[in-house]
Amino acid sequence: MNFTLKIWRQENAKAKGRFETYKVENISSDCSFLEMLDILNESLISNKIAHPVCFDNDCREGICGMCGLYINGRPHGNDDGVTTCQLHMRKFKDGETIWIEPWRAKAFPVIRDLVVDRTAYDKIIQAGGYVSVSTGGVPDANSILIPKDKADKAMDAAECIGCGACVAACKNASAMLFVSAKVSHLALLPQGKVEAANRVQKMVEKMDELGFGNCTNTYACEAECPKLIKRSNIARLNREWICARVGKEK
Amino acid sequence: MNLPKIASISKKIVVACVGLFLLLFLLVHLGINLCLLRPDDGAWFIAASNFMGTNYIVKVFEVVLFAVLFIHIILTIALQIQNWKARPVRYSQPSRSKTSAGSKTMIWTGGLVLCFLVLHFANFYFVKLGWVEGKYMIKTEELFSTELQNEYMAATQGKLSEEETAEFQTKMEKINAVAVKAEAEGLSSSDMKWILNLSAEDVEPLEGIVEGVEPDFYHMSYELFQNKAYSIIYIILFIALAIHLVHAMQSAFQTLGLNHNKYNKFIEGFSWIYAIVIAVGFAIIPIYIMFFV
Amino acid sequence: MNTLDSKIPEGPLAQKWTNYKANQRLVNPANKRKLDVIVVGTGLAGASAAASLGAMGFNVDIFCISDSPRRAHSIAAQGGINAAKNYQNDGDSVGRLFYDTIKGGDYRAREANVYRLAEVSNNIIDQCVAQGVPFAREYSGLLDNRSFGGAQVSRTFYARGQTGQQLLLGAYGALSHQIARGTVKLHERHEMLDLVLVDGKARGIIARDLTTGEIKRFAAHAVVLATGGYGNIYFLSTNAMNSNGSAEWCCHKKGAYFANPCFVQIHPTCIPVHGDYQSKLTLMSESLRNDGRIWVPKKKEDVEALRKGTLKPTDIKEEDRDYYLERRYPAFGNLVPRDVASRAAKERCDAGYGVNNTGLAVFLDFSTAIKRLGRDVIEARYGNLFQMYEKITAVNPYETPMMIYPAIHYTMGGIWVDYELQTSIPGLFAAGEANFSDHGANRLGASALMQGLADGYFVLPYTLQNYLADEIYNDRVSPNTPEFENAEAEVRQRIEKLMSIKGTKTVDHFHKKLGNIMWDYVGMGRNAEGLQKGLTLITELEQEFWKDVQVTGTPDSMNPELEKAIRLADYFELAKLMAKDAYHRNESCGGHFREEYQTEDGETLRNDNDYMYVAAWEYQGHNQDEILHKEPLVYQDIEIKQRNYK
Repeated sequence: MNFTLKIWRQENAKAKGRFETYKVENISSDCSFLEMLDILNESLISNKIAHPVCFDNDCREGICGMCGLYINGRPHGNDDGVTTCQLHMRKFKDGETIWIEPWRAKAFPVIRDLVVDRTAYDKIIQAGGYVSVSTGGVPDANSILIPKDKADKAMDAAECIGCGACVAACKNASAMLFVSAKVSHLALLPQGKVEAANRVQKMVEKMDELGFGNCTNTYACEAECPKLIKRSNIARLNREWICARVGKEK
Repeated sequence: MNLPKIASISKKIVVACVGLFLLLFLLVHLGINLCLLRPDDGAWFIAASNFMGTNYIVKVFEVVLFAVLFIHIILTIALQIQNWKARPVRYSQPSRSKTSAGSKTMIWTGGLVLCFLVLHFANFYFVKLGWVEGKYMIKTEELFSTELQNEYMAATQGKLSEEETAEFQTKMEKINAVAVKAEAEGLSSSDMKWILNLSAEDVEPLEGIVEGVEPDFYHMSYELFQNKAYSIIYIILFIALAIHLVHAMQSAFQTLGLNHNKYNKFIEGFSWIYAIVIAVGFAIIPIYIMFFV
Repeated sequence: MNTLDSKIPEGPLAQKWTNYKANQRLVNPANKRKLDVIVVGTGLAGASAAASLGAMGFNVDIFCISDSPRRAHSIAAQGGINAAKNYQNDGDSVGRLFYDTIKGGDYRAREANVYRLAEVSNNIIDQCVAQGVPFAREYSGLLDNRSFGGAQVSRTFYARGQTGQQLLLGAYGALSHQIARGTVKLHERHEMLDLVLVDGKARGIIARDLTTGEIKRFAAHAVVLATGGYGNIYFLSTNAMNSNGSAEWCCHKKGAYFANPCFVQIHPTCIPVHGDYQSKLTLMSESLRNDGRIWVPKKKEDVEALRKGTLKPTDIKEEDRDYYLERRYPAFGNLVPRDVASRAAKERCDAGYGVNNTGLAVFLDFSTAIKRLGRDVIEARYGNLFQMYEKITAVNPYETPMMIYPAIHYTMGGIWVDYELQTSIPGLFAAGEANFSDHGANRLGASALMQGLADGYFVLPYTLQNYLADEIYNDRVSPNTPEFENAEAEVRQRIEKLMSIKGTKTVDHFHKKLGNIMWDYVGMGRNAEGLQKGLTLITELEQEFWKDVQVTGTPDSMNPELEKAIRLADYFELAKLMAKDAYHRNESCGGHFREEYQTEDGETLRNDNDYMYVAAWEYQGHNQDEILHKEPLVYQDIEIKQRNYK
């Protein structure tokens, strides 16, 4: 297969970016999207055309959350429930022009080319996305009983890989799906309930502070989430927020 | 417009609550408007709109309604500005994510509805405030208040001075001008009915003489809807409102945390039905008037 | 040849760790604040160590190669984590887990370390549950278990097919908690390029900021290496793209012994290679072998027809299928340890029964399980794995059997450490996959997560404190000493040298070639002749690399090509050491299969008389022969047997 690629190139965080056009030829349909970019980079180096395109990637099996490209108007490209590394060229038409852009959000500034800085997510987690337990001195694992359906629901939310596709997809660059997944995961479990009220407030405050937009319930996040995290988590986050605010003592 | 002290979710919860209040108000408004379609020469409509215009509880609600509307508009604009700021560099490619059109255009459909509101106020509400001219009505009994009857008695008994008599006669002439109109419609002073479709010219002289001049929304509506251009704009704007509402209701439930696998389909269906009922209900009036009156 | 002291505490096996803890030195809280620790790596071992040390009150600097600690490759572990809880009442115990691990490792692991690992395994599960890790539950609300290769009990705790992810998120949460408290400072997108020694002790690191290219110095009283394994030396492996062995290698160059480098695990269930552009191999969890049955056709003509595409695997009759694992190992069946399963697959493919158009694949079939349990149950257990398989191969595994083939997965070898996890450099500790200690010559499934977390949560906090107790007499270490200056200058030189070659071939070109050599000659089956040849080829390729590699871009900006080049330069040296280690070990054990040493059935044939030791290599300089140190393995509590899974 042959493709024309329009790729965002930007030297560094401060430089002005632009789209460059490259062609790749003889790509196997079994090739993954990132492997296609590897092939492009090899040819950019070998033919001394340009510095290879920088893009984040690591595990290449859809779990680390490192990769993330905005491909033809969709985060992680034209397939549902996959990360960019799991997207395969068989999903494209031969001869197609493919636009590749970095995640765009104030809270995710571009570092270089297609690489963005997602440390904002870590900051949200640091604000309270954990159970404040230190090592040792914990009860036996089976002393905490958790109904299977609750554990399953918590797991559904905990599957979030923090890739940032929800922010990238959202027309408001809102991080609500990410935050709600973490809040839900912990709020559904007895271990997390203890700090639930404090957690939700701290995390939402941090999220607002970092310049993410507001959720307008458009659900592009849900449509693009590679781990199929559901909007019901956002509703749960809202509930947790209301309960926390109503029950808040000054 | 930044409201940094209020958390994003709090703002959204307020928007959702006031939005739901506005949804309820729309239903009330629709109920009154549909009275226009009754072949009773506006009796129900006039009764209802007069009640809404004069009842004190309703008047309190009117203040609440304006406050709610104002909050809804201000907060959504504030949220929207933050949302635009959250993505300073935009994508070159349009989003191809699967989302509903309504959800992505809330600020625009909302803006259209706001524009319509301005027009709507100019046409109706400002008439009530006396800022704009419209059609008026007055109850027959008001033309002959006890005070006037006393004055009439005094005049006929020659108890008034010449000056006073002249003044009284001027008053009576003004009142008569309206009373003649009423008689032409077949109304007499004892009918206790509304004299409708009075122009500003008709009622202006009555100022200071007679109480109880009210805007005649019934005839104003008919007149407006007979204007085809206005009716078409009206219908289009209600389609925009429907798009706004379909998302608005589901969205409000979601924002308030009311999301449950069992009921989501119901809420979605209900939002559609509600939006369609509102849009069709309002739009049916100009269509009826354009084609059947 | 020297003998190494592994500082195993006195006393009976079951009492050693208790005795150690009872007698170790402690640091009082006021002094803890004055002591700095550097942790390199944010996987299970690194994150849990940093979180625990931070919670204790030490000042921790943690370094992460990716943009977030949560990306570390521990996240990709699918199947589960072992613990001797015996919740299933199936006869499990600390002793049993210890025994299985030693036996699984083919008697090449250190007894005391493994016993301690089994001992603390239960604490790990408690700790993780307290952190909110959503392990699978039974309807009673109690924890569920499943079984894994090399064990006859169900002791594996799991969170769907994403156990590693959930455990890492737990550790990442604990780490984030400490970052918020200010006890841990996170340096993301930083790669360690050198270790700094002051007076013979590890006192800091030189790291490159991958965003700006800036070379930075960091000083501390101790350094913990938790940088994972070096499986990417094979280019194609199940490791993440950024996983690399350079941090280990630079420590090795500074004096840390490298132990058993040739012990590499080849995982039997990976998606087969499908093209030369391929960048990595995807693992299908070992848990699939609980319900999946592995087979190849019995008849050659069926094999031919399959490869041509004229026959579908579902068309092959039951009696024409060779369930070779069940045939050869009736007791463990499809759940034999990984090295055994991998070699069995290779044996069938070498004999010409391999499927796929490459002939390098076998079937993993779920039709029996789907018939027995129903599709829903299989979907609940492995849904995400099946989906992943379908996304990659465009084949629906519910209907057509999966195709799998072995791939490089884990490196049992690593930096040599003593019982305290301290390397041969005082003040340098190694944890998780980066050290060599617990898995011998083969790791059992669901034990890597156990080891990483055991090291980080329950071992290092004690042993590191024992070391730091002496350090309270030393002031904060300054990064402005000649030692730091020299180390930084060396790093700069290395980078400059790579950038100045300006050759014609890309880094990946060389890496792919190295990977092929390693797979062919230092891979699943090795022999003396092949290893010699491999060594020659590696040396030649290394020379070519230093003449003809092209590293584009500049050193003072984000430059993935440069990162890859630095790592590959180290891999060449490591590759030679692996070949040498494999050559010197004249026996077969676990993942190290020397074709000359096998039983009549084709099983590994150990030589316990001559090779019952850990081979720890000491660096002597580029292209100099490394010196071998031996740590004899003494088994007091275990009877040494030929491994038998029949």
